[in-house]
Parts: sequence; C-alpha cells; structure tokens
Amino acid sequence: MNGTFAVARYTLIELSRRRILLVFFIIGAIGIALIGFGLKVFSGAFSSVVISGPNGTAPDPAKLQRAFELGFVNNLIDVLGFFALLIAFAIGMTVIYHDLESGAAVAIFSKPVSRAAFTLGKLAAAIVAMIAIVGVLSIEARLLMLLFGTGGLGVALWVETVAQVANALTIMLLVMALSTWMNNIVAAIVAFVYNAMAGFVVLLHSQLAAGYLGDNQVLKIGLNIAYWLVPHPLMSDAKRQIALAQYDLFSSINQGAPPGSKAPTADQIVAGIPGASGAGDIIWWVFVVCLFAGLVYYAVRRRQV
Amino acid sequence: MTAVVSVEGLRKRYRRRDPWAVDRVSFALEPGQAFGLLGPNGAGKSTVVKIIAGLLRPGEGRVQLFGSDPGNPAARKDLGFAPEDPDFPKFLRATEVLDYFASLLGLDEDERKRRIPETLAFAGLDKERRQIRQFSKGMKQRLGIAQAILGRPKLLILDEPTADLDPLGRRDVRALIDQLKVSGVAILLNSHLLSEVELVCDTVAILAKGRVLKEGTMAEVVPEGRTLEDVFVELVQANTPPRDQLPSFITDQDKP
Repeated sequence: MNGTFAVARYTLIELSRRRILLVFFIIGAIGIALIGFGLKVFSGAFSSVVISGPNGTAPDPAKLQRAFELGFVNNLIDVLGFFALLIAFAIGMTVIYHDLESGAAVAIFSKPVSRAAFTLGKLAAAIVAMIAIVGVLSIEARLLMLLFGTGGLGVALWVETVAQVANALTIMLLVMALSTWMNNIVAAIVAFVYNAMAGFVVLLHSQLAAGYLGDNQVLKIGLNIAYWLVPHPLMSDAKRQIALAQYDLFSSINQGAPPGSKAPTADQIVAGIPGASGAGDIIWWVFVVCLFAGLVYYAVRRRQV
Repeated sequence: MTAVVSVEGLRKRYRRRDPWAVDRVSFALEPGQAFGLLGPNGAGKSTVVKIIAGLLRPGEGRVQLFGSDPGNPAARKDLGFAPEDPDFPKFLRATEVLDYFASLLGLDEDERKRRIPETLAFAGLDKERRQIRQFSKGMKQRLGIAQAILGRPKLLILDEPTADLDPLGRRDVRALIDQLKVSGVAILLNSHLLSEVELVCDTVAILAKGRVLKEGTMAEVVPEGRTLEDVFVELVQANTPPRDQLPSFITDQDKP
C-alpha cells in the first residue's frame, strides 16, 4: 500500500507541474468565464431593445431571462464536457507513458514495488487530478450561475458534470492503456477514433430506440450488438430538461401563432434526446472502467523496461 | 554461503527471430564479492543486469535474487540498481525523487529524513533545487547512484556507473564500492572502463554476443604480466567479426 501511495503522491506532484494541464485549465476557466459574462452582456443589451412575438406582442422579460439562463446552462454543459475530454487525453497520454519512455520506470521498477501497486497509484493520481481540474471548472461555472440563476437546473448540472467526468474517465483509461504499448500521440488518435465511433453507435442506437430509423430487424440487431460493444456515455436528464424548458418557454411565446400551424409536441422533442442513464448503463460503465483499468495493469505488467 | 545472485543457463532474446541477446550465461555472486561484467557494446551485459533487477523476463534458464524470483517485489528489497543513462520523473526535484524512492523502499519518515540529506550530500546534489528536466547527464548519473544506495542494499548493481562522471565523481564511486565491499555488500559492476574494473572487482566475466567467453577471479582471467585490457581485446576480437577499417578519407592523406 505504501508503494501505491508513493506513486500516487508523486504522480500528482508531477501532474501539478505539467504545463499542458495548466494551459488546458486556464483556457477552460477563461472559456467558461467568457461564456458567462458574454451571455450576461448580450442578454442585457437584448432586453433593452423592443422585440415582438409572432402576433406583435413583446415577450415577457422574465421568460426572456429564463431563455438566457437555459442557454447558459446548455453551453456550460458542452464546455465542461469538452474540457473534461481534453484533460482526460492530456493526463492519459502522459501519466504512465513518460515514466516508461524517459527510463524513469527502470529505477522505479527495480524497487520493491509491484506493477499492480504502481498501476493503482497511477490510476488513483490520474483520477484525482481529473476530478480536481474538472471540479474547479465546475465550481467556477456554478459561481458564474449567480449572474443568471440555474434555470432550475442546478442539480441536473452537477449530475451532468459527474457524468462528463465519468465519460472522460473511460477515455483516459483507454489512452493510458494504449500509450503503454505505443507512442502516446498514436494512442490518443486511436482512442479519439474509437470514442467517435462509439459516440456514433450510441447516437444511432438512441435514434433507433426513438423509432426514427424504421423497423428494419437486421439494422436493429446489428445496432443492438454494436451498442453493447462500446462504452455508453453516461448522461443526466439535463439536456432533456433544457429542451423541455425551452419548449415550454417558446410555446408560451408562440401562443398567438396562427391556428392550424403544426408545432411538434413536447414528447416528440424529448424522444430524440437521450435521457438520463439507467442502472444498466451505469453497470456497463463500471464494467468498461474495470476492463480498461485491467488493460492498463496488463499493459504495465507485460511491459519490459 | 547463500549466493546473493545466481544465474544458471540464462538465455534471452527480444523477438523470436532475433539472435539470443544473452546465451547460456551462468554465474553466482556472494556477499562482499565484486563481480565485473565486461563486454563490447551489444554483448548483453545490460540485459543480464536488467533480468537480475526484475525489469526483463528471462527467456530460458534460472535467475535467483536472494533466493527468490527477481520478478517478486520482496526479492528486490535489498537490491540497489543504478541503471545506465538513468532518468527520473522529470518534474520532480532530487529531494523528491529520493523521497519517492525511499517510500517505495518502505523507509519510515524518520529514516527518510536522516538518509536523504546525507545521500544527496554524497551525490553532491544537496544544494540543487532545480527539477530533473534541467539536470545534466552527470547529475542524473549521480542521482542514479544516490537512489541505488538509499536503501542500504545487500546487492548493488552498477550499470556503467561512471560513464558520465568527471574524474572526481569516478573516484567517489570507487571509494563507495570499496567501502560497501568491506561491509559485505555484493557489487555487480557493468563497465567499459577496464582499468576501473581491474581496480575494484574480485571476479570478472567477459561477454561477447551474449556468451561468456571467460570467467574467473582476476588472477585466473589476467595472467601475470598482462592487463585486463589485453585479455579483453584478444578474446573479443577472436569472437567477433573484424571491425571496418578507418574511412578512406581519413587514411588517404594525399588526396584532398
């Protein structure tokens, strides 16, 4: 256990001194701040001009404010997800690879530390570092929400942040495992392509479940098989809540629309947006994380230095 | 007396189609003994020491470190290994590297506080505050030796320990080896510097192409009136293809 703590501790110290992580963190922090303050300035300017709905009535300022809140929360979720992924790649590419490639692993592995303890320490440090960085960005986002309010989605945003970290974690583990076998840039590219393909499969599967892809049995079976071969991104129902809230908002603005115009129903809008992950998805995520962590250990154990 | 290291019929190759990097190497090392592993570049010396340090898996044969498989972490508790061209986590400082390795060795805090400053002072790095990425090769080599002795090992493996050291550093390493030998530590020295090996080693093995060409005590290997270098050159030349001549543009003095 001492070995695991020592590896984790000094890996965290190393990560805290890596410029690439600092750069990503600063860009993320600035990006979130810009979104917050930008939208605030934009909403202030927008509310001072007179706009009108379809029947010539001005929208309720409170509803307009809520539209901005929802837009802000929506953008935050996307930005946090993007930076969680960037940070996952940055950590995954360096945390074990640099020890192996620089030759530091030669001195480390000649000490009485098992490869399992080394891997556990590295995994713990990588996970803590990612949670810390994304956590600080989330806190910044939460503070910026004081400018707007949370649109009633405060809890959903936290759950979504946890889901984004969980999704980034699977990619980070994959990059860590691959970079033990190959060059870290190649590993990142392979993981990126795999992640994109997995995202595409999950998207198609959700479209299939919503009934948008027809009733082709071969396609159904094929997509169902493919779906259970890739990691499923965990999701909160924040995106659905935002879509529903925006639907309510704009349908109330559009109350005076001409009769007979066919607006989609709330159910139709929500059907195309993936909902909160169920127990099956969470169990599958746990399995994928254990599998990828096992792969990292296997790669480290097999690696001769 | 139980051997600190015993190597029997060791063979290793990196890929199936490759020739054996180490081919049927056998030797044993006892406490207080200094064993020199000599050979030209690519002879397999570093492969042998990496197998003993548990960093590489043997292909065939048997290697025992303190009576156990070197792959077993507990077997490496009394091992100090200073690798060739050592490197360390590059964003740490020398003190942190030693504290990291002391933790891996299981030293408690009091012991770490006592040993680390003294070890750094021995390595001449006690006033060094920069991160490893700013270290010269010589500084890394000194840190490599420092981390190897930190756990008061019973076996010290030195792989080309003085390659990047200045004459003063070399003298310090020789003094260290002498002191450790006296206190019963076994030394496995892997070096190109034959004069150095002749000074500190009791037993030597000369390797070429992964095979042991000659092994024995210094008196057995080096007959009276000859030097280790004479014996080494003679053996290695007889067992390896002759090297190319000097380039013609060097030898042809008349041509422009």
